[in-house]
Amino acid sequence: MPGFINMLSWWQWLILAAVPPAIIALYFLKLKRRPLEVPSTYLWHKSIEDLHVNTIWQRLRRNLLLFLQLLLVLLIMIAVLRPGVKGAKLLGNRFIFLIDNSASMQASDLEGSRLEDAKRSAREAIELMQPGDVAMVVSFSNTPKVEQMFTENKRALLRSVDAIKPTSRSTSLSEAIKVASGLANPGRTSNDSNDVQVAEAKPATLYIFSDGNFPETDLSLGNLQPVYMPIGTDGAANVGIAVFNVRRNDSQPDQLQAFARLENHSKAQATVSLELLLDGSMIDAARLEIGPGETQGFERNLGELETGKLELVITEAEFLTEEGATLEDQLALDNRAWTVARKSRPANILLVTSGCEPLEFALSTNLAMRLANVTLESPNVLADEKSDYYQRAAVGAYDLIIYDRCRPKVMPQANTFFLGTLPTTAVELAPETEGAPPRRVDVWQAEKQVAWPKIIDIDSAHPLTQWIAMDNVIIFQATPIKTPSGGTVLMDSDLGPMMVIAPREGFEDLALAFPFVDNIADENGVEELRGLTTWPGRSSFPVFVLNLLQYFGGGRGGLDSLSVQPGGQVALQGPVPEKPLLVEKPSGGETKVAVSKLGRATFNDTEELGIYDVRSDDKPVDHFSVNLFDPAESDITVRKDVQVGRLPVEGRTSNWEPARKEFWKWILMAGFLLLLFEWWLYHRRVYV
Amino acid sequence: MGTNDNGDLLPPDLLAKLERMELVSRKIFRGRMKGERRSRRKGQSVEFADFRNYVPGDDLRFIDWNTYARLDRLFLKIFMEEEDLHFYALIDSSPSMDFGEPTKFRYARQLAAALGFIGLVRGDRVKVLSMGDSPTSPAPVLRGRHQLWRMLDHLASLEPTEQFSLAEAAKTFCVRNSGKGILVLITDLMDKSGYEQALRYLLAQDFDIYLIHLLSVEEFEPEVQGDLQLVDCEDGDVAEVTVTAPLLKRYKRTLGAFIEQARDFCNRRGILYFPARNDVPIDRLIGGYLRQRGLVR
Repeated sequence: MPGFINMLSWWQWLILAAVPPAIIALYFLKLKRRPLEVPSTYLWHKSIEDLHVNTIWQRLRRNLLLFLQLLLVLLIMIAVLRPGVKGAKLLGNRFIFLIDNSASMQASDLEGSRLEDAKRSAREAIELMQPGDVAMVVSFSNTPKVEQMFTENKRALLRSVDAIKPTSRSTSLSEAIKVASGLANPGRTSNDSNDVQVAEAKPATLYIFSDGNFPETDLSLGNLQPVYMPIGTDGAANVGIAVFNVRRNDSQPDQLQAFARLENHSKAQATVSLELLLDGSMIDAARLEIGPGETQGFERNLGELETGKLELVITEAEFLTEEGATLEDQLALDNRAWTVARKSRPANILLVTSGCEPLEFALSTNLAMRLANVTLESPNVLADEKSDYYQRAAVGAYDLIIYDRCRPKVMPQANTFFLGTLPTTAVELAPETEGAPPRRVDVWQAEKQVAWPKIIDIDSAHPLTQWIAMDNVIIFQATPIKTPSGGTVLMDSDLGPMMVIAPREGFEDLALAFPFVDNIADENGVEELRGLTTWPGRSSFPVFVLNLLQYFGGGRGGLDSLSVQPGGQVALQGPVPEKPLLVEKPSGGETKVAVSKLGRATFNDTEELGIYDVRSDDKPVDHFSVNLFDPAESDITVRKDVQVGRLPVEGRTSNWEPARKEFWKWILMAGFLLLLFEWWLYHRRVYV
Repeated sequence: MGTNDNGDLLPPDLLAKLERMELVSRKIFRGRMKGERRSRRKGQSVEFADFRNYVPGDDLRFIDWNTYARLDRLFLKIFMEEEDLHFYALIDSSPSMDFGEPTKFRYARQLAAALGFIGLVRGDRVKVLSMGDSPTSPAPVLRGRHQLWRMLDHLASLEPTEQFSLAEAAKTFCVRNSGKGILVLITDLMDKSGYEQALRYLLAQDFDIYLIHLLSVEEFEPEVQGDLQLVDCEDGDVAEVTVTAPLLKRYKRTLGAFIEQARDFCNRRGILYFPARNDVPIDRLIGGYLRQRGLVR
């Protein structure tokens, strides 16, 4: 609401107000008539009979010129006063409008949605741009998208803002800022480590239209000045499903159980009505009370269910604040979750060994048998290229292959665990001399053999080595491993890394620096199979084996389908190599996905929430579900302040910079036009 | 003899043109004396008109003996009667006539002189007088070309007089002059009390009346602008006007209505009405316009 800025005191106004009457008085003085003798006033009298005027007002009635002059003087007076209203402006003259279109921006606490409000604000900002200002529009969720490069064209900017669509993705401001700063500071190279200023920097103002639900970034903003425009209302309430999956009933391992966790992201007590649907028909309903900011679990026994599509829906959510007000759930995206229960398939594990009693024993326990089908092969199969092993390893029939004191010539299409040896992964380097064959360099390198290494560190965060205590383990002899690039040391000793894991083309290779048993020659030269470590005798060993089975075999042998977040990538395994898979979206559309020689495929178009069916020749192959499952997005509380690039940025409460909008130029322009009109009128002599 | 503008009143080339013209009366008047004017009455003159059968009692002198000899019947020769015409030129000498370039009054005198000259040349009885004439110096009655200088002299001596009423002046004129002959009234008709009464007086006298309504250019297209106080030169009446385009338009409309009204009034009563403006040369007015309308030929 623009307010009038008074610039004069009352007596100045009075003087101003006295000017028009003064002009009128002068006009009357000027009206002294020149006497002129005429033959007869007979005709004149007749002519002016009805024009004959005596009163002041009639006299002024049609005196257009006087009015025009008064109007002109009035306009000039107003223009001289520099009239202004309280308007708004933007900071600077280069702008980057970052518009958050992540899942939380679909909250409906504002008219339309938060995204609509953000777009509205952005449009407002664009309208406030002065001639000569340039701006760009970037929408961001977990990935940024440049909707419009720097331009002066307001229409293009408005169009690009209108084109921004909501997504169900999570939020990452840092990616957006990287893009923005790269485009805003064209002089900077995109390489962070060699940030060289090669051209003059152009400062820009970064307007962030968001609800602030993004992780803090410590990126350098360069000469970007951030302005955070919080979008959303205080006290927006939301209950979301944070987890929904199928797992085995702890007490009855042959039965399945649906499990969900609900989070209340509000300061009010929530009452939630839930429905659980199996293949579209309701099998359970529940009503949960969730305290402010708390989480609540939901469990449902599914019995001996083998397969089925499960959907969990929050049908109703009511929030009761302490003050007694009721709120509504403002974000619908996280009110539904999907998963597909499926029969668990035991992992296929191949153990290539010439005899390793501790491991064989550990893999034959009841639990291990349920988790995995273990096949034993002797190392001789590695030499025979026609063996069954080669074919199966090449098409990825195994989930895990354990090589005990042996190495394959070619790495298999499977995860591997090397005991006492190292993977044969190699990279080819350009030859030193021309014409020579390319040099092959092993990725994995061993150090010198050591005796009595002592485990000093274990990566307890990694699923393979969690819950493992090695302080009571003695190792007699080991060959420490040089960590390959990209590798992680899971177990470190005082003499070098003992267990290292490294990725390889979608698989992972695990190497242990010592075998559990080996043929060791005694003083007489007779070789005898002996234990090289006391580990198999310790309680941490079966835990490690279970970790191994669950980590390498668990992904495939899970009880429910894979769930990814919107926009995430899904790795698919086709039954037949190079035969395309069909992925059907929840809304119906089908996408063909190419499958590699190794039977692998990736699918990226996961914007839509719900269950995706994967088929090959109309035969169902797999399912996966896309769920929001992101507490950061479900939490739709608006952040008043955010941290952007090491700077705390306060949210603006009033929308724009207050500015004085002056329009004296327009008034003066009107005055000049009026003057022209008056001049024309005068020369036409039609003055009345 | 005469004033400086006598020669101007009737320049020689105009005189030459006028000499060939004569005044035409639409009415037949019995002249008092034989004149050069052919009368419809048949009478004694040299111009043969017709024959008619002899009836006893006719003057034997007019019997055409030649015809009698040939046809053995008596015919009487009839000759055209020629007589003189009374011509009056009556000039409005009110102060309003003293405007324009040349002044309307001068133009009126010039016109009167020209018409009077035509009459003199044709042997008509010519009397040129102004309406405001004082009874003490009556206008002379003139006849014959040689009287031209007397007429011009008299015209030159005329001056615009004080304001008078047209009706009163017409009445005075009618009392003094008999109602026979042509009367040319040259006036601007600018009388606030109206001109109708004056014309009615004149009509009552059975004159053959020609009204030359003389207005100046300034009256047709007033070149005035600004805020003015218009003063009537006759009665000092004041009209305050701010001249504007609409007012000028309205004035012209009023003037047009005034002229139309006068023309209408005259046409209904058998008065021949001629509007005239003072920027039209006299010879063109007489040789062209008045000739077309039948005042002269």
